[in-house]
Amino acid sequence: MNRLRLAAVSFLNARPITYGLERGAGDEMFDLRFDLPARCAEALASGAVDLALLPLGSYATSPEDLRIVPGIAVASRGPVRTVLLAGDVPWQDMSSIALDAASRSSVMLLKLLNREREMSPSLVAVDHDEIGTAASGTRGALIIGDAGLRLGDRYPHIYDLGREWTALTGLPFVYAVWAGRPGMVTPEHVRVLRDSLRAGLDNRAEIARGWADERGMDPAVCESYLHNNIRYRLGAEELSGAAAFLHRAHTAGLLTRPAARLRFFDDGRLEHPTCNSKLAPALPLPRSELAFPRPNTTRSVDGLLADAAAGLRLGFDDAIRLYNDAPTLDLGAAADARRRALHGDSVVTYIIDRNVNYTNVCVTRCKFCNFYRPPGHAEGYTLSKEILAAKLQETVDLGGVQILLQGGLNPDLPLAFYEDLFRWMKANFPLAIHGLSPEEIRFIAEKENMSLRGVLERLVAAGLDSVPGGGAEVLDDDVRRAISPLKCSTDTWLEVMRQAHALGLRTTATMVFGFGETPAQVFGHLEHLRALQDETAGFTAFICWPFQAEGTRLKLKDDTTAMRYLRLFALSRLYLDNFPNLQVSWPTMGPDVGQVALRFGGNDFGSAMIEENVVSQAGAVFKLSAGDIERYVRTAGFEPRRRNMRYELLPA
Amino acid sequence: MTLSPIRDKVRAGEPLTFEDGVALYRHANLLEVGALANDVRERLHGDRTYFNRNFHINATNVCVASCMFCSFARLKEGDAGAYTMTHDQAWAKLQERVDAGDPVTEIHIVNGLHDGLPFDYYTDLLAGLKRIKPDIHLKAFTAVEIFYYHQHYGLSVEEILRRLRAAGLDSLPGGGAEIFAPRVRKKICDDKCTADQWLDVHRTAHRMGLRSNCTMLYGTIETVEERVDHMLRLRALQEETAGFQTFIPLAFHPDNNALMKLPAPTGVEDLRTYAVARLLLHNIPHLKAYWIMLGVKTAQTALWFGANDLDGTVQEEKIYHMAGADTPQTLTSDEIVRVITEAGRTPVERDTLYNVVAEGEALRSAKPFRRPVRRSLEIVS
Repeated sequence: MNRLRLAAVSFLNARPITYGLERGAGDEMFDLRFDLPARCAEALASGAVDLALLPLGSYATSPEDLRIVPGIAVASRGPVRTVLLAGDVPWQDMSSIALDAASRSSVMLLKLLNREREMSPSLVAVDHDEIGTAASGTRGALIIGDAGLRLGDRYPHIYDLGREWTALTGLPFVYAVWAGRPGMVTPEHVRVLRDSLRAGLDNRAEIARGWADERGMDPAVCESYLHNNIRYRLGAEELSGAAAFLHRAHTAGLLTRPAARLRFFDDGRLEHPTCNSKLAPALPLPRSELAFPRPNTTRSVDGLLADAAAGLRLGFDDAIRLYNDAPTLDLGAAADARRRALHGDSVVTYIIDRNVNYTNVCVTRCKFCNFYRPPGHAEGYTLSKEILAAKLQETVDLGGVQILLQGGLNPDLPLAFYEDLFRWMKANFPLAIHGLSPEEIRFIAEKENMSLRGVLERLVAAGLDSVPGGGAEVLDDDVRRAISPLKCSTDTWLEVMRQAHALGLRTTATMVFGFGETPAQVFGHLEHLRALQDETAGFTAFICWPFQAEGTRLKLKDDTTAMRYLRLFALSRLYLDNFPNLQVSWPTMGPDVGQVALRFGGNDFGSAMIEENVVSQAGAVFKLSAGDIERYVRTAGFEPRRRNMRYELLPA
Repeated sequence: MTLSPIRDKVRAGEPLTFEDGVALYRHANLLEVGALANDVRERLHGDRTYFNRNFHINATNVCVASCMFCSFARLKEGDAGAYTMTHDQAWAKLQERVDAGDPVTEIHIVNGLHDGLPFDYYTDLLAGLKRIKPDIHLKAFTAVEIFYYHQHYGLSVEEILRRLRAAGLDSLPGGGAEIFAPRVRKKICDDKCTADQWLDVHRTAHRMGLRSNCTMLYGTIETVEERVDHMLRLRALQEETAGFQTFIPLAFHPDNNALMKLPAPTGVEDLRTYAVARLLLHNIPHLKAYWIMLGVKTAQTALWFGANDLDGTVQEEKIYHMAGADTPQTLTSDEIVRVITEAGRTPVERDTLYNVVAEGEALRSAKPFRRPVRRSLEIVS
């Protein structure tokens, strides 16, 4: 096998990523060199290397269809310390800014932030070695890399662009990823690259010391930088941050191609294009930043809660134990501590969108559903474009940013129907399409005799932006056979999500409980989601609610007691440690309990829904306007902020 | 802020101060206040959570008072929606229950301040109910009504209470307290008796050996300080008489009344009020989460924020429902048992005076709610 030629950035922050490689891991596979970010990009473009630690801006502007190594990034959430705008005068008084041309992402970030401040200083490219002294008078300088760590207080005005970005969007910023051409990287390569980073993360102190000694820097500064400023996971939040950046850059005209999606190399989990394949055991992402110890099963309930509150991974048996034994408010307090660690203590988000159910014709006949009509039924419908246009325009007029588009499994609707629908929507309305649950995608694939991946690629090409996590109910095949025997299996549901994530689509995940399932089945569900998220980081959020029984054919009572919801919700926050967002379900639980759930781990109040047709047909009667939502969020002690599907904060 | 000084006082059983109450409202973390209140609740009652089998009679909604938060009252007979039950109509409500074999133990009777009824309308009402079911507990007439009868019929409060008791009155409900602060009372219920008059009716009743409950209407225009003051005045009377059984915070409901522009209190505010009440009112044994007003879900949650009582089965409620409450009109005792059990608490059916009617196995006639999936599969249609 030819050795894969790698180019990595010659900055301190790349060293943990290359640590193992520099020490001989994968020597027979890799040939490594270091260069400035922009030159790494050039080397990849010219074919001089096969894989480069590439600025995200270069990934997006590449004319080629590149792939990313999953799980690894150079990112920050908040201050990064090595992308700084410095000057003698405040930002708003800078007439020009000298740029270090070495990083395209940083330059694009600066341009975006200038635009956000409605400023247009002239930009002047300066050589990397001269940038440290380039600022004077009303000229500022964009200083990147190690120079930032040495800057001290040389200038009276210093702005950390990582901090500025997170303040603007609420999300991390991704500076660089491993990227290369499709087919170049094997699952084995991915494994060695992850191992290299894992070793580097364990040896940050040594890396910092070596780096500082060579350059006469303070080792404590370097070590703190690697520990506290740079994040090396390409996890769910980082994916959202990257997508937000590409979207904003495209909207601002900084990217000529439509916002690129992040597409990934196969890490050995995507070899099965069909639905029902048995899957290989999970290969976890590098998690050594969190260093999960194995939970000790003899721990006390208090000890387990303290560990989970501190972010340690909760084991399956321990979760069941907490579900059975932990006092409710203690569960809430632990989940609240997790929420605070992840999201701070101020903001709770919500979205304005509309549920559009394009058809109610469905062959699945789920016993808990009041919405569907079988094919041929007089009350069956498929919405016309005229009706849709009115609904979509109304959504735009009400400040909506997204359509949640779901429907029954209607055998009369071919793939071409959806492609046409999406293209028409995208051509006429500025709305994101959060559409087609896994069940619908599986049904289309079956009808068209295509692979899941094939269907998803066509839908993406037609305008699909993200996939809602509906239809998961309880991901346990015994429960599924009992309540919805014609719906897809657990494996199929997960496989659709896996394929969607690999194509760069983000999705949500749901759970509907109250079908008489056992705690083991509930936590089995959460375990499936957590394992897939370890693999793909593609889920943005988790939402759960109790099944709404009124008028359905299931001879069950509503399991709508608030206590079970709040306990399960808090445990979901603790168990799904790799899910950034937990959305409360006020449409089913009512706004008061939804609001209380914000203190049991929730950080998102869901949707000011302009329309909802499914749970409202089974007894859920709550309705809230954006103003109502903001009042509930405020009286719970949070600041309400609107968001989009990427959980990017939007201007109020 | 840190809760430590307050926590120490609570653990030592020391009364909290006005400042403590305000701090618990304004500054403390909701779950911490809840946990502290829950400690007190569990110290007093363990997991025991009470309910009773009761129903309401609102014999008339004709009322000379014009309280801004009320959607129930009509100023005079003949106004749209105004009604006054005949004795037969009121008695029939109990007779129906008795005929149906319903083991109801209490009737909760509160009414408008009707200026055209003779006093024996009330005494006959009570006496007739006792004739139908001598052991029924009649919890009737708020202090506001008692005080109105005193003024309207020219009899002392004590004499009014003596005659009603002779006719069958067993205890007083806690309504009509609203908020004691004169500033608020003047704005929202200027026609009602004053705080001192309200407290004095209860003082008199307690001295005569009648037990009573007490309430606070929150969520209109009152401040946090005024809520704390209200609770402390109840606490002071309780120090004197020990006659209150239960405190019931009542959330304002905004529909169909003169305060429609105000939003209703939200769940987090409800739970905080319950928790603060549990901590401030150390000498009032019970705290009731009135599900009619809170909603079943929030009421259930309140069982972890200091509350140890869910009120009763109720059957038919008018006052809150006319103000937009979308709660059910009734919960069966099985449903209440399930709500309490699902909260991880122990249900106890009580009578009005908190004597145990049924607990443990006797309440388990209710079918277990959760059934294995396999057995739950029958399709109904």
